[in-house]
This record gives sequence, structure tokens and C-alpha cells, in this order.
Amino acid sequence: MPMAFRDVNARRHIGLQQLSSLASTGRTFLGPMKSHKFIVDEITNQSTLICSAVRLIESLDLTSAGGQLLNETIQAQNKEFKTGLSTLLFLVGAWSNAVVECLQQNVPVPAIVSVMSEGLNSCCERVQCLQIPIQDVKKELCSCQVRPKASESNTGQVGCDGLTNPWNLLCFQRDASATEEVIPVNSCSHQGDDCNFNKFLVSPLAGFGSVASVVKAVGDRSSSALSGSGGTASSCITRKLTHSRHFSTPGKSHFSRHLSGPSADLGGCCGLGHLAMALSRGNQTGVKLLQSIAAYQQERAECSGSSQINIAEIVTCCVLGLPEGYSCVSPGFVTLVSPEQVAVIKHFAGKPLRIVLMDGDLTEQYRHLGFNRPRNVRTILEHPSPQGSSTGDVWLSRMSDILMSFEVNLVLVKGNVCKNFMERCIASRILVIGGVARDVLCAFGTATGAQAVSYLSQLNASCVGNGAWAELWEPSDGRAVDLGELVPARISAGGLALLTAVLTTALPGKVQLIEDQFWTLLYRLHHALKDGKVFPGGGAVELLCLSHIQALAEQPGWPGNDRAVRWLPSPWLAEYKSIVLQALARGWEQYLSVVLCNTAKAGSELEASASVDNHLQKAAACGSASAYILEEFRRGGVFRGSSDPFLNQVTDLKVCDNVAAKTEAWRRALDLVLLVLQTDAEIITGPRRNEILNSPVSSEFMFL
Amino acid sequence: MSRLEAKKPPLFISEPLTRHAVSQSLSLLSGILKSSYGPAGRLKQLHNGVGGCVCTTSQSSALLGHLSVSQPVLRVLTASVQNHVSHFSDCGLFTAILCCGFIENFRSLNIAPFTVIKISKHLLSLCMDHLKSEACGCRVSVDFSSVETLVCLVRSILTSKPACLLNKTEVDHLTSLVLKAFLFTVPCHVETNAVLGKCVIIPVKGRRVEDSTVLPGLLIEVPEIQLGKPLAVKRTGSNMIKLALFSVSMSGDGFNPEEGTIAVHHGVSLEVSELNQLLSVGKQLVKDEVGLVVCQKVMHPSLKQYLKENGVMAVDRAGLCLMEPLGRMTGSQPIASIHLLSPGCYGSLKDLCVESFAPKHFLHLIPEDTVICSLILCNRSETAWDELKHVCETAEQVLRLTMKEPLALLGGGCTETHLASYIRHKSSILPASTFKDLDCSQTQYQLVTEGFCHSLESVARSLSHDGEEILTDMVYGHCWFVPSGAPCVSKWSDFLVSKCGCGMNGNTEDLSWRFLRGQSGSPVIQGCPKEPSVKVSDLLTLDCFAAKCTGLQVALETANLILDLSYITEDQN
Repeated sequence: MPMAFRDVNARRHIGLQQLSSLASTGRTFLGPMKSHKFIVDEITNQSTLICSAVRLIESLDLTSAGGQLLNETIQAQNKEFKTGLSTLLFLVGAWSNAVVECLQQNVPVPAIVSVMSEGLNSCCERVQCLQIPIQDVKKELCSCQVRPKASESNTGQVGCDGLTNPWNLLCFQRDASATEEVIPVNSCSHQGDDCNFNKFLVSPLAGFGSVASVVKAVGDRSSSALSGSGGTASSCITRKLTHSRHFSTPGKSHFSRHLSGPSADLGGCCGLGHLAMALSRGNQTGVKLLQSIAAYQQERAECSGSSQINIAEIVTCCVLGLPEGYSCVSPGFVTLVSPEQVAVIKHFAGKPLRIVLMDGDLTEQYRHLGFNRPRNVRTILEHPSPQGSSTGDVWLSRMSDILMSFEVNLVLVKGNVCKNFMERCIASRILVIGGVARDVLCAFGTATGAQAVSYLSQLNASCVGNGAWAELWEPSDGRAVDLGELVPARISAGGLALLTAVLTTALPGKVQLIEDQFWTLLYRLHHALKDGKVFPGGGAVELLCLSHIQALAEQPGWPGNDRAVRWLPSPWLAEYKSIVLQALARGWEQYLSVVLCNTAKAGSELEASASVDNHLQKAAACGSASAYILEEFRRGGVFRGSSDPFLNQVTDLKVCDNVAAKTEAWRRALDLVLLVLQTDAEIITGPRRNEILNSPVSSEFMFL
Repeated sequence: MSRLEAKKPPLFISEPLTRHAVSQSLSLLSGILKSSYGPAGRLKQLHNGVGGCVCTTSQSSALLGHLSVSQPVLRVLTASVQNHVSHFSDCGLFTAILCCGFIENFRSLNIAPFTVIKISKHLLSLCMDHLKSEACGCRVSVDFSSVETLVCLVRSILTSKPACLLNKTEVDHLTSLVLKAFLFTVPCHVETNAVLGKCVIIPVKGRRVEDSTVLPGLLIEVPEIQLGKPLAVKRTGSNMIKLALFSVSMSGDGFNPEEGTIAVHHGVSLEVSELNQLLSVGKQLVKDEVGLVVCQKVMHPSLKQYLKENGVMAVDRAGLCLMEPLGRMTGSQPIASIHLLSPGCYGSLKDLCVESFAPKHFLHLIPEDTVICSLILCNRSETAWDELKHVCETAEQVLRLTMKEPLALLGGGCTETHLASYIRHKSSILPASTFKDLDCSQTQYQLVTEGFCHSLESVARSLSHDGEEILTDMVYGHCWFVPSGAPCVSKWSDFLVSKCGCGMNGNTEDLSWRFLRGQSGSPVIQGCPKEPSVKVSDLLTLDCFAAKCTGLQVALETANLILDLSYITEDQN
């Protein structure tokens, strides 16, 4: 009779402690300067580089109930937005701690729940006034774009030439982001090549080790190693690289896109460039890819008039063995194929192909979902055939006969493809590609008129599409690359809406990372367009929340009547209200401090919170907090570090955030904390009574 | 070779209630349930301890469904509460807590169970008579011509489960949706025996609660539909869409026998012959001008392809729970065999369109005139969605019950304290003949009455989870809360909140409050507790009349049954 019951609230709230400790692992992911983490598999000894809360959560042990709920929350946010995850994770931790402190001050649970939930609601309404419609984003960012005032400032010691030449910076940054932990080797190998700025920067530094740490501190998405790097040099570089994202015209890039389509001009006002830039967190490669995607989709959409990014028409293909600079967007479907398939593609030589789409597996055993295989059917063979050909061979010939009779050249299959059949097809010069996503099949269906079938036996003339073609994908500069086993091939068709972002990298451990980063940025842009507005970034929204909470604390009668706290007369509620609102505020305070520290805009959390306080006071003095914050944002960001002349002049740190993704991340984080807060017991179901009885924590359990 | 083993003799346990293990389990169970009760109730995490999904809830059905109780005595209790919930959907915790209270209070009385049962039945009848009388001060009549009381009723249910994680705006939004959905299910043209329709809840998890909505008609999820293309549906002469509804699987595996073996000759394919059968059904459907084919289970891709090529829309995997409302809405008979197609089994639809609630796409079946609607219910997390779904179902069920009997009881503990005051008052003025009729002494009667009232009050006390004190007033018998640590002074009105538990009475006059704690003898109200003349708030907390009345009866009957147990026979084989 297995049912165990554990009192969660024994002394301190175990559930909240679990949340807090799990969440603390993601602290360094906060803000635009994320530190990467290595996830090492102890069994296989393989390691992966990660830089997002989802991947972190995926690699943690989450068997506890709190861990499960946290995972569920993160996955839900990831599924919808692909961004706001580290914010969510951080706030879960910060609010858990703050709520535990409320409990220690004997604030009743319903008062915490009610005040926090209504407080967040009120803040979300308040920050609406900061929203910038996306058409205004373009305007604001266009008006004060690149202002190369560096020559006026006295920052010559680090080399204005390097700064004013955007290409150098870009190049440097690419190196920085390409390298991470293995930086020294990689950055040095590039020095002789085309990146003299890198050499120039590095040369004043003494040792090899500090080179690594500097570069780490600098890269937009790289690590925390600021502490390790020495004084002035590193901080100068940090500042400089912050600007690099504002050199929005890397037109001189000699990795010119070989795309025959619209040019990927970042500075051009084809619309989304500035928005993408503002949302990019310095992911230059990503911005370029997005630019191309936007340009392609806009060209297509000119007739339909929609300005949205259609995510369903975008796929990625990761190509290992090329530097990251070769990443680009190719119209059509780029996928990796085997050398045998390459031979078939070469044989096609650009001729139009007849295409078949299959939405299941292409194997003899495959049956559509929901088909129950008969178990008790016996086949009687009366006349054994003299040829002795097995049933499998019969199937192979039947299927390839079908393909031949419809003169099919290309088969895209959603599931697996039988190996023998693949070989037979290659022999008869039919290209079969397995594991193709549903959206890709749909796009080819629309473009070629092909209709997806589950079995080849279903094929008739109207199911076969026309006008597809296949070719080998080549890097932009035609550089011959030995990519090993699998080779990228591009399959397309007239009018095909599909775009492939070909993501190249030389580091196997980074494949997942760059793919994640690409999708994150794409979703950010997608949601910004969907919301129709963005938040000013760089802590502006959080600052307004803090100032709004101060106002709420002084507002009598708030939060009004709530059934759960109806029994609290006003003097009690007023006292609890201020404690709980402070707890709510602590989440954003800590968020701002950690972001300021991670981005090296503050040396310590103390300094950071002093800076936050300073702004809050100024905002209060100004009368309208939102007006003050918007004004500061227009002048280049709230926390732009005013003490720094260099930053002040060149930076227009117009970073923007998604509206829905941000507020939803807050809400999800608070929901999780409040859900766990209100939980007082765990009930273990299932047949584990003896296990629990024998475990060291058995005394915590009771049995019914 | 089989081995025979002698049967073990059954185990007899006498006087099960006096056993320590039983009383310990009972108090543990009662503790779990009490701590979950009410809008400030604490939640329980139900999980398997090895990383399975976590259900966070304070609902009796989820709790009792997952607790595996080893004591037979407790199993009687849980089974009886679960049975109550399956019919009324509401007041499960109330019933269970009250039942535990009755057992605990009556057991300690040292009066023969026989007598206790007799007296408590009498007390119950007093309660029921009072609740059914016009003069009852703890019930309100529900006016279906205005939305006000209905809103209070639905809102009380929605806010009673904190695991739904709703804020005020979300509660308002959902309240109106639940009411709207309920109104859709009420037929417009009432004939002699009107039957209420059905509201089908469509899950969209991971989205904001505000994205929830209600649509008339039904939605079937169609994951593979291509958006942006207009739906081309074949219509009949009267511009309606003819619909065929299949409850049989059309996946082409129909030859799969339950038992026995089929022998076929080499070269004969059962699959092919089955598919041909399906295709001949398809031919018939095309001939009969059917525009939409819905299958509860899976359709063979070839059949789908055939239908599509002939301009017939085909939707499969509609699921069992859509079948009954689908048949009802379209007037079609679910077809249970692919060998028999009678023209009379087709139904009709007015229109079809595609609705998207990202990331899901649905085919919206729009009928001419309907009592069937779909509530697209969104909530951010899985566990909160599950809780919310249950709460919405409860609200719909409560509205149906209330329609039959347009009454509601005051919530927030007020009904319980009011009833206790009433019973105390009533039993103090009983004629002596009653005791004779009941075959008991006046002392016995008073002891049982005290236990009965105390059990009722303990339900109200269970609403307090943060140490707040509970009081009752001597005028209306309502329930009041004071935060813990309030000084013990005579002038309570300074420390009480402005309203009583249900929100009907204001803290404006001196109502001579007293504590509801411990067993100490409570002063008896001078007169019958009054019905308030003016209600203070529009936001009353209300409970379902039918569910609570029955809950009271179930609790007492179950408690009496358990008190009456003298032996348990356990089969050890």
C-alpha cells in the first residue's frame, strides 16, 4: 500500500530551497555577456558547449518535484519564445529566496501570494507605457546610427584606426566569438591572416594566458573571466567591443554573400535590420542571416503584404568544418548527403526533377500510425518459388518499379529510409533523402504540386511534383572544403518559399550552440513583429518596475479585495504589503545587479545596486519615472555607465527586448515560485514503499 | 505441475476504530484534507518520486484518487467521497473533512454507536429541514434572469483552488467564459423536456489564460492542415455540408482477430482486401454527396487520399469524447461498421472553418443551431492547466445543478457556523418527548449535538491555514476571521475585517463575537440565527446548494457506517 507523505514545510521550505539552488546554476547566463559552460558526459567523455538555460536544465538531475516543475516551466517558455529563459531561471531563484525571507518574517502565505501576484500584474501594466512600436524602433535607431566620434575622444591609446574600421572590429569579434575556451590557438592562427587589429590589441599584453582571458571577456557571448584579466587593457577592450555591434555596415566583408538573391545589407533600410540588430545581443552572424531571410521573405511577400517572418519556412543545416564566417542563407533546402548521393546529384546536372513526398518511413515494415499489426495471421506457401527470392526483394523491386514508372528522380521522406532501398535507388539514379521535416515537405508540396503519400503504392500521376532541382552547396568563395563523410546539397524548386540557414562552424562542440543562438534570434525577431512593439532593453523595463513598486507600496487600498486575504484587516495587510513588495522588487534588483556585473558595467554587486538606486532617485525626482527612463534610453541606454567618456560618446546602446517573452518569463517564474510556496506536502505514489522506508530520509515520510 | 497450498484463515479485526493504527491514519488523512481546504488551502505535490510528472493540486478527486489507503475503514470513507464527487463534482473536501470530524468527535463520546447514530440522524433531519425551509438564513436564491449571483457562484469555485494560479483579471475573464459556455448549452427553444447541451473543453497548454475563449460548435484538432488555403467543401442542394461520422477504426487493420489464427495463402494480402473494402466505402460516401468524413480513430492514408481527390474532407483521430457531442450536434449516427452504410446515418453542418490557437490548428464545425460549445482553455503550465480544467468542469456541473434547484449556500464557512448555531438553538428548545422517541437521555442528546456542531465548525476552522482565529457572531451565526496575534479584547470590531467569510455581513454593529475553538461549551444563541436584511457586498462567496446538502448527508451516513463497524474480516489469500 504505497503512499508516502512528506511535510515540505518542516522548517525552511524545502521546495523553495530546491528551486533556488537549481536556479543559481544559470546566473552567468544573464544579460548580453553570457559565459559559456562545458557540459561533460562522464561516460563518453564528450563535451558540449552550452549557453542557454534550456540546455543547462536538460543536463541537470531533475528528479525532485521542484526540478520537474522548473523543467516544465523552462520548456514551456522555450517552446513558445526561445528567449527569456535565463531571465526566467534567474527570477525563479531570486524570488524563491525573497519569498523564504518573507516566510521568516512570518508573513502569511496568502498575503505573499496575493500581493506578489497583483504586484507583478500591476508592473506588467505599468511597463506598457515603455513599449516602442516597431516602426518607431527603425526611426529611433536610424536617426542616431553610427557615430564614429572616436577620433574626438582621447582613446587613441588603444588604436582609433582599428575602431573606425568596422571590418577590423567585426573580424576581431568573429574571432572572439568563434573561439571561447580554445581561444589562444584559434586567434593566433588568424593573426597572420587578415586580422591585424587582433594582433594590435593583444600585443601590449604580457603573457599568453592573459590573451585568452582578455578575449574571453570581450566576446559578446563569451565568458566571465574578467576577474582573471589584468587592469586597463582588458577593460578598454571590453568597452570597445561593446560598440562593435553598432558598426552596422560591415559591407566590406570579403566573405561576400554569393547569394544571387537580395543583398544582405545591414545598414540598408529594408526594414528589419535595425530591429534585428537591437534584438541581437551582438550576434553579428545571426543578424546577417536574419537580414537575408527578411530580404528573401519580403521579396516574396511583396504581393501578400505581410511583414512577418514566417518561421515555418526556415530550416537550418549545420556544416562542420568551415569557419563561422561562411554561415549564410540559401534559398531552398540544404541538407547533408552521402558521397553516393553526391554522385546522383552530379548526374542530374541541373535538369528538372520529378519529386515525390512521403510522410512516413520508406521501409517494408512501415505502416501508418494507428495500424495494428496482425499477430495471428499465418501465410501458407503452397508452391515454393524456384527462384528463391525473398519477400524483401519482391518489395524492393515493386517499389523501385513504381518510382521508375512515374519517372521519379527525387524522393523526400519524413521518416527513415530502408538501406537496401536507398542503395537500389542510387543505382537507378534516384535521390532519396530521409528525415525531412514536415514543413519542408509542405513547402515542396506547394511549390511543385506534389502531394505527400504514406505508401509508394498510393502514388498516382497527380501526386508527383515537377520542377525541383538539386545541386551541391558550395561556400560563398568557392573554397574547396573537405567536409568528410557528409556533404551539403541544395534542393530547390521554382517558387519554393523555403530558406535554409546554413550554419558553419569548425568546432563540433559548438554546433548545438550556434543553432540554438540562430533560432533564439529568429524567434526574437518573429515575436517582435508579432507583438508589433518592443521594450527598450538594457534594464529600462526592470528599472520602471522597481520605481512602480515604490509607488505601489505607498498607494493605500492596493491590492484591494482578495478572497484569500479577506481576513487581513488593513493595518496587518499594510505591514505585510511593504515586506512582500520589497521581496518582489528584490528579484529585479538582483537581476539588474547581476546583468551590470556580467557586462562589466559595475565592478561589484554593491556598485551595481548603488547605480540602480541612483537611477531610482533620479527617476523619482523627475516626477515621471517612465519619461525619465525613456529619455535615458534615447540617450543611449539607462545603464550606459556615464562615468565612462568613451562609452558615452560612441555608444548608442539601443538594445531592445521582446515584450511578450519578457513579461511571460516574469509571470512563469513567479507562478512557479508561488506554486511551490503554497505546497506543504509531497505525496509519493507508486510502489516504492520499501525504498522510501530504507532511505535515509525515511523519517520524513508518513504512511497511510 | 501445480502446487496446492492450504488456504489461510481470514483475519478478524474487532472494534477497528479503537486501534491505534486506524486512528493515526484517520488523523493523517484528515490533516491532509483539512490543509488543502479553501482558497488559501495548501497544495500537495503528487508524483512517483523517480522523475515522473508532478501534479500540484488541492482537489479531493486528485488527492483521493492518488492516495492508496491501506486501512479498510479509511477506504470506506474515500470510496464514499469519491462517489459523491463523481456525481456532484463539488464539495468533496467538505464531505471528507466533515466525515472525519464526525468520526473523531463521536468516537470519543463513550456513547453506544447505536444511540449516537439515532441522535445524529435526528440532527441531520433538523439541518435538512432548515436548509429546505424558506426561513433558512444561510441560503440565497439564484436568479437566472440576472447574471450577478451566477457570477458569484462561478467565481467562488474558480478561486477555491489556488493551484490554478489565476490573478484577478484572469478570474474575471474565465468567470465570464464559463458562464457564456453554460448559456450556450441551454436550448433556445424549450420543449416539454429540455435537455442541456454540452461544453467540450479543448486543451491549449502553455499559453496565457486570457487567450482562452468559447466558440459555439465543436473543434477537432487537425495537425496537418495547411493554413492559408481556403477550405473547399462539397455542399448539398440546401447549402448544407453532409457529414458522416465513423466510430469504427478505418486504418485498414480490421481483419485483426481477437483470438484464433487466420491462415492465408501466399500471395493473398489481407491488407489489400481490407483496403479495397475501405475504398468501396469511400466510393459510397462520394456517391452520397458527403462533404466531411470524421473518424473517431485512424483512417487509412489511401482512403484519405481517395476522398481528398474526390473533394471530400476527411478528419481522423477525433477521439472518443467528441463522438457523443458530435453526433448530437450534427444529427448523425456514429457508424460502427464499414460494411453497412445507411443513408439515414448522415448528419449535417452549416459551415466549416479553420481556427488557430498557436501552436495548434483546429477544424471548427459550425452547426445551424446548437447546444454544444467548445471552451478553448489555456493555462501556462501543465499542472495548473489540469487543475483549471477540473475547476471549470466543476463550475459547469454546479451551474447545471443550480438550474435544477435555483439555490446557493453561503460559503466562506458561514453555512457551517450558521447551521451549528441553528442546531444548538433548536436542540435547546426541544420538547422532552423527543428524547423518549430517540430512546436516549437529554445528556446523551446534548453531547452528540455538541459533537455534531463541533464537526460542522471544524470544517469552517479548516479554512484557516495561517494561524488566523475564527469567530462566530451571535446574531447571524456567520463566520469571521481575525489574524493571529490580535489582542484579546472585547471590542472585536476593531480587529475584524470588514466582512464575514461569505461577504454578506458587514462589521458595522456589535454582533457579540465568540471564538470557535476547542471543545469548550459554547453559549447558545438566544433566538434562531437571523437572516441578514441587507447584504454588504456584491462579491458573495457561494457554494452549490445540491452538492453541499448531499455532502452533509453523505458525510454523516458514512461516519455512521464506520462507527457501526465492529469487525473487519480480511481475506489473507
